[in-house]
Amino acid sequence: MKSRKPRRLIELLGCAALGCAAALAGATPMAIARSKVSYQTPDVLLVRQDGKTVSLQRELDDGRPVLLNFIFTTCSSICPLSSRTLEEFQQRLGAEAARVHLVSISIDPEQDTPARLAEYARKFHAGPEWQYYTGTVAASIAAQRAFDVYRGEKMSHTPVTLMRAAPGKPWLRIEGFVTPDELVHDYRTLLGSR
Amino acid sequence: MLLTLGAGALGTAHGAGGAGEAIYRQGIAPSGQPVEAVRSDGPSLRGSDAACLNCHRRSGLGWTEGKLAIPPVAGPYLFVPRGKSLAELGVPFVDTAHVIHDPYTDESLARAIRDGVGSDGRPLNYLMPHYRLDAKAMSALIAYLKGMSVKPAPGVTPEVLHFATIITPDADPVKRRGMLSVINQYFVDRNNAAARTKAPTLYSSHTTMFRVERRWQLHVWELTGTPSTWEKQLREHLAVQPVFAVLSGLAGSDWEPVEKFCEQQAVPCLFPNVEAPAGGDADFYTVYFSRGVLLEAELISPQLTGAAPRPQRVIQIFRSGDVGVAAARALQRAQGSAGPPVVNRILKAHGSPEELAGALREVGPTDALVLWLRPGDLHALGGLTPGTASVWASGEMGGLEQAPLPPEWRRVARLAYTVDLPGQRVVRVDYALSWFRLRRIPLLDEKVQVDTYLALGLAAETLNHMVDAFVRDYLIERVDMLLDHRALTGYYPRLSLAPGQRFASKGGYVVRFTEAQGTHVAPLGAWVTP
Repeated sequence: MKSRKPRRLIELLGCAALGCAAALAGATPMAIARSKVSYQTPDVLLVRQDGKTVSLQRELDDGRPVLLNFIFTTCSSICPLSSRTLEEFQQRLGAEAARVHLVSISIDPEQDTPARLAEYARKFHAGPEWQYYTGTVAASIAAQRAFDVYRGEKMSHTPVTLMRAAPGKPWLRIEGFVTPDELVHDYRTLLGSR
Repeated sequence: MLLTLGAGALGTAHGAGGAGEAIYRQGIAPSGQPVEAVRSDGPSLRGSDAACLNCHRRSGLGWTEGKLAIPPVAGPYLFVPRGKSLAELGVPFVDTAHVIHDPYTDESLARAIRDGVGSDGRPLNYLMPHYRLDAKAMSALIAYLKGMSVKPAPGVTPEVLHFATIITPDADPVKRRGMLSVINQYFVDRNNAAARTKAPTLYSSHTTMFRVERRWQLHVWELTGTPSTWEKQLREHLAVQPVFAVLSGLAGSDWEPVEKFCEQQAVPCLFPNVEAPAGGDADFYTVYFSRGVLLEAELISPQLTGAAPRPQRVIQIFRSGDVGVAAARALQRAQGSAGPPVVNRILKAHGSPEELAGALREVGPTDALVLWLRPGDLHALGGLTPGTASVWASGEMGGLEQAPLPPEWRRVARLAYTVDLPGQRVVRVDYALSWFRLRRIPLLDEKVQVDTYLALGLAAETLNHMVDAFVRDYLIERVDMLLDHRALTGYYPRLSLAPGQRFASKGGYVVRFTEAQGTHVAPLGAWVTP
């Protein structure tokens, strides 16, 4: 009994230090939460993996359905799973994949240079319709804030996938580890309700 | 005998690191084939993408990402006997370990790894893939997990944490004094503060290991002779006095043997003062504040290719035996074949400044001049004319805004500047400077001393978070995780690391002097990360 109190104290200290806000879900599957949300795309310039400076608004509003997520290339646990899921999503869509714009924005833009993003894109067999974006720290944070994924620093990020059928429509926000099949289902449902 | 050896020792006994280690770290099965893993209705993984270390980390002590705690898998955390607490078993607390689970057996652990079912029969997190391992591979992996040591590393005793700092023989003697004055005082202060604190308030009655304030003891390892002998000297130092980690340190032109030592001996080396780091992001045990002059070369390079009109030649001036050699090489590499031809004019090591006139011969208005020079040489440019208006110089080597460039050179020179601008860093740097003032530490080299103070603060902060898990790999992993939270970042606008990132500050400015005298500089553009 004597050892309990100190341990709890230490747990609290550790948790406070990490800024881990909620329960830690090590041994149970993370529930998936879906919601429809309207976001205002910020007027920021980002740099695409091909080195071109582009407007985020224009990239998202090119008329195609958009799937958006936030990653960093040295993230070795959550992001590879999210990126593999998008890769499988594209494969499962087959020829239709060419009509969906996949947008992955770096939350570690100083490390994730266009060259590093291009390398990361190759690893996940990203076709021309799946593009990666970096830019200044301020631009990346503005984008993260606008889509409510900014958690202060990169290690605090959570898996979030956003999907939108067309410009002007609300976004489907999916929190948690969604499977490729679920993602395809979400996509078809979203397009059907367009 | 084998039972008394740690995982590392077992690894070496098996040559290339042991079959279990190969699965855990590289995702290579004993057959030599890549390990394969799947997720229910999810993407499959193979090889290094399936390596356990990606999530559970090299230490096996787990990782936290967002709201997700990836639990420790080092044996002692998996096989806690029912009714016993980790504390009772002397297993250190880690903040990912309070995922309560029934103790594993070899069988239930194999089921968890193969089928994603926990010891309590419930499915594990979706992030955990299901591994296709045969019996041989599974037993090798489980043996490896069981062998992962969570005991205090060498250099940690119940009363003392031993640290070293490393100084190479060619390090600048003034910087050396500056760095040591900060480290010595930091250790004195820390131990005084610890002594004033009441006897440990957070501890377990069973192990008395929790939160016991250990005294910090410093060992200064001064290297001698040629770089080829340094690794051997360091191994001897480590054998005589094991240390938990190397804190700060000071290089001259070469740090590669030290970096290799840290990597091979698995000793964390935190933020040494190195102007031209030899290692890369693929290494694990050394973390740096910045890539120093190598980063400067990459800041200058696009300026040369983008200049209008484009220079016909790039003339680099540097001294042999100094970091300018590595910087000049980096610039030449960055220029590639697309850039103008690069001409290197190399001055003798420790030679006289009079050589400069020769190096500047026939430099014309169509040339670009890059100076990888120390303050003594910059000062000696007085009386010589630049010959061109395209002049770049190393801020790191020249002394940042204190660089003693003569007036006619200040008008044309642009400095590579890999730290935050003076006005923007003043509050963060003042924190260190007032600490020095209060303790009457002479200001001998502001940047080295402030960086050293920052390195020590980061080490102390990280060790606090580690509570009593004195595992060397875990120290590096915690630095990776916690650095982004740091508010006081000294000379740097931001510091950030991650697995596979070994340089915490990634960018810089190009600046120029705004006045004929003084230290006012203005950036020629935004902070850039090349």
